[in-house]
Amino acid sequence: MTPLPLRQRRETPDCGIRAHATVEAPLSAVAALRDLPPPAGSPPLPPRFLRHCDEQTVVAVRAVLDALARLPEPQPLDRCGVVAAPCQAGRIATARSLAQLRVGGAVTVSPHIVPQCSLHSLAGAVSVALGMHGPHLGIGGGPDALAEGLFAAMTLFHGGAAAGCDAVWLLASAWDDEPLLDLSGAPLNDPVCRAVALLLVPDAEATDERLTLTLDVSGAPPAIVEPTSLAEFCRAVEMCAAGSALTAWGVSCPWGAEVRLAARVPAVRMPGPRRREAA
Amino acid sequence: MSPTDRSTAEPVMITGIGAVSPLGCDFAEIAENLLAGRSGVQVIDPGDYAREPVQFAAPVTRIPAPPPEACGLAAEEFERLGRLERLCLAPAAAALVDAGIDRQGGPRIGLVLGLGAEHLKVWELDFLAGGSDVFGDGRDRTVVHRLARRLGIRGPAVTVAAACASSGYAMAMGRTWLDAGWVDACVVGGCDILSPTSIAAFYNLRALSRRNDDPGKASRPFDGDRDGFVMGEGGAFFVLERRRDAVARGARLRGELAGVGMSSDGAHMVIPSSDPVHASRAIAAALTDAAVAPDEIDYVNAHAAGTPVGDVAEAGAIRMALGDATDGVPVSSTKSMSGHMISGAAAFEALACLAAIDRQAVPPTVNLDRPDPQCRLDHVPHVFRPRRIRVAASNSFGFGGSNLCLVLRAA
Repeated sequence: MTPLPLRQRRETPDCGIRAHATVEAPLSAVAALRDLPPPAGSPPLPPRFLRHCDEQTVVAVRAVLDALARLPEPQPLDRCGVVAAPCQAGRIATARSLAQLRVGGAVTVSPHIVPQCSLHSLAGAVSVALGMHGPHLGIGGGPDALAEGLFAAMTLFHGGAAAGCDAVWLLASAWDDEPLLDLSGAPLNDPVCRAVALLLVPDAEATDERLTLTLDVSGAPPAIVEPTSLAEFCRAVEMCAAGSALTAWGVSCPWGAEVRLAARVPAVRMPGPRRREAA
Repeated sequence: MSPTDRSTAEPVMITGIGAVSPLGCDFAEIAENLLAGRSGVQVIDPGDYAREPVQFAAPVTRIPAPPPEACGLAAEEFERLGRLERLCLAPAAAALVDAGIDRQGGPRIGLVLGLGAEHLKVWELDFLAGGSDVFGDGRDRTVVHRLARRLGIRGPAVTVAAACASSGYAMAMGRTWLDAGWVDACVVGGCDILSPTSIAAFYNLRALSRRNDDPGKASRPFDGDRDGFVMGEGGAFFVLERRRDAVARGARLRGELAGVGMSSDGAHMVIPSSDPVHASRAIAAALTDAAVAPDEIDYVNAHAAGTPVGDVAEAGAIRMALGDATDGVPVSSTKSMSGHMISGAAAFEALACLAAIDRQAVPPTVNLDRPDPQCRLDHVPHVFRPRRIRVAASNSFGFGGSNLCLVLRAA
């Protein structure tokens, strides 16, 4: 993995990342994830909350719970917003629904398909499951979802009071390879479903946060931008957070902007008067 | 990054309008039909997969091809596009033409498309036409990027989904991009398409009206005999610009997107919260954002789709947000005529507010024969009400407990 060249490096990050987690699960393991108890230190979900959710929602909700479990203090969730950027979510449920529609007619169409398998569904599920009252949005939906989602999360921070939130969960999810299905909608492969959850806070509050995001809108539209791989982004998040040699990673948007993930260089702590007194 | 302080921010104006809807495809035609109380609801072909022998909805019956210079397509090429893409491209191009923006070397233009279930519908339409894309492993770029390319838009282009509030959130996002200086103009809005799976799914949720014996009377928001909503199709797009930029280029100012408020119930994936506090918080935030008091609101275009639970919840939210001013503010639901355009509804209803401001009249709620006592508001049943309207608010609520209020102000 090669860090992208960073242009016009800005001094001030736009937001800090207070919590993060990445989760991956093969399709065959998603069923078990639906009923897996939340990790210690994260809030409980409503009973059987994930039973009708799309696979990408199941994996992304787990990423949120894992991120919360890693925090040293409980995170107030009431004033959180959610920006969720799944990529082609709902394929398996849609395929099954269409196969059933052909055989049994409209009576067989699941009432859950619209609320649980649309672009808004992942954001809605996180908002509902954890009682968040900031806005929640589904973003992207296609191969560029990660870039669109990062850009939209920055938009919510710029929205000020109208957005009504103090922190934003940025979620992205995708299959590494899309599910391949038979004509009944049953899977023929076992692709990996992957999600990342980042809890973004305004940078002024984030001086203790190790990871930051910075938006650079100055770039000219390139001829072609290949969508950023979610797997590579997840790896970059974990490497930056772990203090590895990788300290920055850029996600290019199709219109030329770039969102830069960076590890903050820890400030050198000088011994202060109180410490000397204590000594 | 500093959040925008709206009290000092440059006003964001609407300088272009485009629409495709069951009530017409240009502003004047739609305004006339809204004030006349005409309904776009009609019996539709139930197709092979219908659950009922008779089905009804509010379809778009004509999608006008944009001029080739607006989208790079001759009329016959436009007709060969998929219906969803045509439903989005036609009004977006019309909005740009209406705004009169020169896209060649001109301002940085962005695009925010409110569209909630693109893949579900693309896969479904392909399947019903004999295709098998849903079973394969293809991964195509989304409609918004094709729209941007056809419209010559080189700025940010994003799809946003908040269920039935999607296109309103698109408008809010575009305004923020302008506030942040990321774009100089932004095409915002949304559209939706009728699809058999969606109709079946909403029917099976018991969200749709089952008034098969009288489809024209089926969409009856706030009425005591309402039994669900009627699916609609279409939507609207706008061009947004900062006032000083719009004035500098001599643009016609159609109205101001003066306020935005948003919140989530955090309660249920489908059913709106019976506690109106969170929906009312979105309305109150929009009023604060627009710097208007409740008694300065001249009209509320309600989300009110005609569902038994949703209309009551919204009436409570309006009353909580407007307080003592509530009884002096006329409220109507234009979904009684247009049906519920889902992703396109919020933008179309913003257009209805602009029509009310333009015509100085409140469009009616048709079929409101016997107002539900649980929805006690200043209703405008059956016929329009002449009124001085400078400021109008439009509510939109969606699955997952998504709440949005927009405030539109006369230019």
